[in-house]
Amino acid sequence: MKQVNFILAVESYLVRKGMAVVLQRIPGASVVKEFGSVDLLTRYLEHHGMDFLIISDTLFANATDLYMNNPALLERTILLNRDPSAEDRGKKTRGCISLSEEKEEIISKINELLNPYFRDYRANTHGSLTDREKTIVRLLSMGLTNRQIADRLFLSTHTVTTHRKNIIHKLGIKSVSGLTVYAIVNNIITIDEVTSKHER
Amino acid sequence: MIHRNLPMCQAVLKHHQLLPLLPRFNIKLGFGEKNVEEVCRLNRVNTDFFLEIANAYLDEDYIPQTDLSLFPIGSVVAYLTSTHDYYLHIALPKIESKISRLLEGSNLSEKERGLVAGFFDDYKKEFLDHISREEDSVLPYILELEKQSMKEEPDSGFLRSLQNDTIKEFAQEHDRLENSLENLSKLIIKYLPPFEDFDLCHQVLTDLSDLVRDLVDHAHMEDKILVPRVIELEQQLTRKFNAG
Repeated sequence: MKQVNFILAVESYLVRKGMAVVLQRIPGASVVKEFGSVDLLTRYLEHHGMDFLIISDTLFANATDLYMNNPALLERTILLNRDPSAEDRGKKTRGCISLSEEKEEIISKINELLNPYFRDYRANTHGSLTDREKTIVRLLSMGLTNRQIADRLFLSTHTVTTHRKNIIHKLGIKSVSGLTVYAIVNNIITIDEVTSKHER
Repeated sequence: MIHRNLPMCQAVLKHHQLLPLLPRFNIKLGFGEKNVEEVCRLNRVNTDFFLEIANAYLDEDYIPQTDLSLFPIGSVVAYLTSTHDYYLHIALPKIESKISRLLEGSNLSEKERGLVAGFFDDYKKEFLDHISREEDSVLPYILELEKQSMKEEPDSGFLRSLQNDTIKEFAQEHDRLENSLENLSKLIIKYLPPFEDFDLCHQVLTDLSDLVRDLVDHAHMEDKILVPRVIELEQQLTRKFNAG
């Protein structure tokens, strides 16, 4: 899965580590580097790339040179405010988080930032089978072959095979028995409707 | 959290979840008064690496203290391989035999039994496939990558193969082996008629949930430590190659 790299620049060790813990909870987010001062941050950014910078308001105020030389950085900056009413004070950063916010709020803000990175990935993950795919999983669980499913749904076997590939890709489950159990626990089929192997 | 000066005995007594990790490092019990560092040294295990793995295993919010890129890829690969062995030779057979005992003594219909047994059989096959693919192609590639990156002049044949994006493919298709297992627990808890032998059923569910947790942790190791390291090495080598 894709990884989105964050850099943390916060003078307070405790706040920095706290932020890192929250980010660790978010799939795909990774903290690549932490800094307690603008100097070290500036030097690092001369040679390294990253996706987002989370910076405290104090360090942000000291980083005017950094932003002057690199205006595009604003677009990748998330401001960490001590004062919840501060918002981003017209600083045009990508977003801001307040120290008084709850974990869920912070996570949802960061997830929003990550969305464009994962649009393809998330659209393709668990739980988002299309109705047609659910129908196919259901018919597979009832013991039908690709050929029979194709006939039943007026599709070509080739199309059924493509659907099956997409289902495998989305769920990571290849076998019919695995798909059957998936279908039962996701209420796509009941145990009574399932055809067991020896009945086939 | 455990640290290098803590007596190993105390670490394991307090956190019995560490027990399955020990054989993966070839560490045996009978610690006496030795602390974590002494036990690691005696068993030729990199103490920092052990501490990172153990602490990450104990606490999902744990933040690595050591720069993980400092560990030789070889020790990461050795750890992953012995974890695979644990899954294949201990964890899965244990669950399999308990499930078959559970089914034997149950009032389940033929169909329901087939559902559970068939699920586990196929799961095991997919699991084996995944692991052999990893051990036959991905891990040897990674070890070779490390070897080549230490050479003055890497083999040109190997450099050409770098363009193939082996590791990115691997990271993308990283199977969600644990999701599927959780479905089995849900099936037992929610949809199947209750088993007579609750104690055995309890054991099966506990073993399943331990394995799921271990797999998540394992995938985390691969995604957060191994893959970024490999990408970094690939890039280094490509730069060197293009420069030369």
